[in-house]
Amino acid sequence: MKNLQLSLLFVLLCSGHFLFSQTYKICQLHILARYGNAALRLSEQPNILRSSDSLQLETLKFYLSKLELANKGKLVYQEPTSFHLIDAANENSLLVSFSIPSQVTFDELRFDLGIDSLTNVSGAMGGDLDPTKGMYWTWQNGYINFKIEGKSKFCKSRNHQFQFHLGGYQYPFSTVRHLHFEVASSDNMTLKVDVKKLLDEIDLSQQDHVVSPGKPAVLLSEKLGQIFSIEKQ
Amino acid sequence: MRSKWPLILFLCLVSFAFLTTDKSHFEIPKNWPKPLYDFSKNPLSENKIRLGRALFYDPILSRDNTISCASCHSQFTAFAHVDHDLSHGINDQIGTRNAPALMNLAWQSSFMWDGAINHLDMQALAPISNPLEMDEKIEHVVSKLQHSNIYPQLFFNAFADRTITGEHTLKALSQFMLTLVSSNSKYDSVTRKQTSFTAQENKGYVLFKNNCASCHIEPLFSNFQFENNGLPIDPGLNDPGRMKISQNPNDSLKFKVPSLRNVEFSYPYMHDGRFKTLAEVLKHYTSGIQQSRSLSSKLQQQLVLTSSEKVDLIAFLLTLTDKQFLFDRRFYFPKIILSQTKDE
Ligand code: HEC
Ligand code: HEC
Repeated sequence: MKNLQLSLLFVLLCSGHFLFSQTYKICQLHILARYGNAALRLSEQPNILRSSDSLQLETLKFYLSKLELANKGKLVYQEPTSFHLIDAANENSLLVSFSIPSQVTFDELRFDLGIDSLTNVSGAMGGDLDPTKGMYWTWQNGYINFKIEGKSKFCKSRNHQFQFHLGGYQYPFSTVRHLHFEVASSDNMTLKVDVKKLLDEIDLSQQDHVVSPGKPAVLLSEKLGQIFSIEKQ
Repeated sequence: MRSKWPLILFLCLVSFAFLTTDKSHFEIPKNWPKPLYDFSKNPLSENKIRLGRALFYDPILSRDNTISCASCHSQFTAFAHVDHDLSHGINDQIGTRNAPALMNLAWQSSFMWDGAINHLDMQALAPISNPLEMDEKIEHVVSKLQHSNIYPQLFFNAFADRTITGEHTLKALSQFMLTLVSSNSKYDSVTRKQTSFTAQENKGYVLFKNNCASCHIEPLFSNFQFENNGLPIDPGLNDPGRMKISQNPNDSLKFKVPSLRNVEFSYPYMHDGRFKTLAEVLKHYTSGIQQSRSLSSKLQQQLVLTSSEKVDLIAFLLTLTDKQFLFDRRFYFPKIILSQTKDE
């Protein structure tokens, strides 16, 4: 009798495994870095983007974190330990892959541009958050959420350089931005980042650097939402 | 009677389990508050501490391999920078602040005189990249370590990984610094009732409790808050203190209250090392306080101490010296680094 019960239980467990086991599919988010319609080829210098001031871009790096999918306003997927350092000069970083349960459908993509405050005060971390990645301030603490560097004849600085290191997590100078986009439920999405939309907003003759947390970093970070968009397939 | 045995056995097992955890590396002294460092994210181990100690003493962390953490933080002065008001780094360049003693760091919520650093793990990045200190990049440090003939093995022993990362480098340094616990001064023996103060020390202790303990709170001798203790600003340095970080004008001239443990050896005193002796410090508190908008309310009232009271107070401050800490062999220059120094 006892044996029968045990084997019954065994059969139940096995079939349960088949009935309830989850299948997954890979979802890919391509990041497309652009200046208007022109591709950013950071490895090819000089790479003039605007003739009026011989605008050149040397660095474009930012953190994309806390990736989520939602359907009709309801959260349906959350990527575990979600921190991605996107570097326009590093091809591999421009593809973010994650696996979601195959039956999940969604109409919204959400993520944070930058690193949340809790992570900022949690000590040394590895992977894309490793401080060797050049996205951590040293003289004081905190991650740089968004970094853009280059040259423009408009800049009065040495070598006509501009440097914007946007970050800061402490009240009232928090710079992390929560962004969300309408998307088609597809396992292939393309997120475009158009730096022209940011650079057009900055008068480089007046402002050529922000390299610490504070009001100027907050003001520029507020403009970052509008430079991202989803490319329709 | 027999029914008690299982309980006793259970208690024995529990206490055995406690004895075998990493307690030997880090003990919370009796009657001290709970540390703030989250050890669960970086559990201490013998090999990680050993690695951290090697890194702390190794000039490989600086651009030209001349300056180590210990260059500015030496054990016999409680890991402060002996004799220098402003610490000096690479190429003998002078920094802008006095190097504080390093001890009981697990109890601190922020680091540096202005609290610029929010976590002990991240502390080392500041001196490594400061052009006046070690003038190096963590990326480059990691690559130098990877190519050295001792570190890949030390990292493997510690983290089971020969590939060196910034995270592991910083966590190992934290491990060593966390073990720098100073809790065996005469003051501690007195609180543990193992000895007693002299009459003079006792008088000094009473004066301390009445005039100083509101900021320099026992048993760590700091509240780790930012306060303005009335130092006139040094026009050459123009250091705004906490305001630099918070950008709040109310924080102008506020600095982190330092612990007074081992204060006998952490001279020169204050964030810019302006006072050489404890007598000068007391002269400041009795007749040097500069009124200003952010001056601490605790120091608004004029402090009066007779010259013999000053002597008593200093006698008490000297009971905070922890010889066991200053000469603890576990914190010495490690032999493994010595074996690396070769004459060229
Ligand atoms: C050139 C001298 C110099 C070197 C080298 C140096 N430090 Fe420091 N250290 C200082 C000074 C000065 C301060 C205080 C700076 C401030 O408050 O702005 C300090 C502060 C600290 C603090 C904060 C203590 C507290 O109570 O807030 C820690 C921890 C520390 N250093 C650890 C290290 C480590 C680890 C290294 C090696 C990676 C190192 N230091 C290398 C000079 C130095
Ligand atoms: C309002 C809070 C406050 C009170 C009360 C106070 N202190 Fe301080 N103390 C500080 C602060 C803040 C500093 C660091 C100031 C700086 O460097 O700018 C300091 C620094 C010191 C230092 C220098 C330590 C070092 O390593 O550089 C000594 C010694 C000291 N205090 C002793 C005393 C004594 C003795 C008393 C009582 C007579 C006292 N303090 C009362 C806030 C206070």
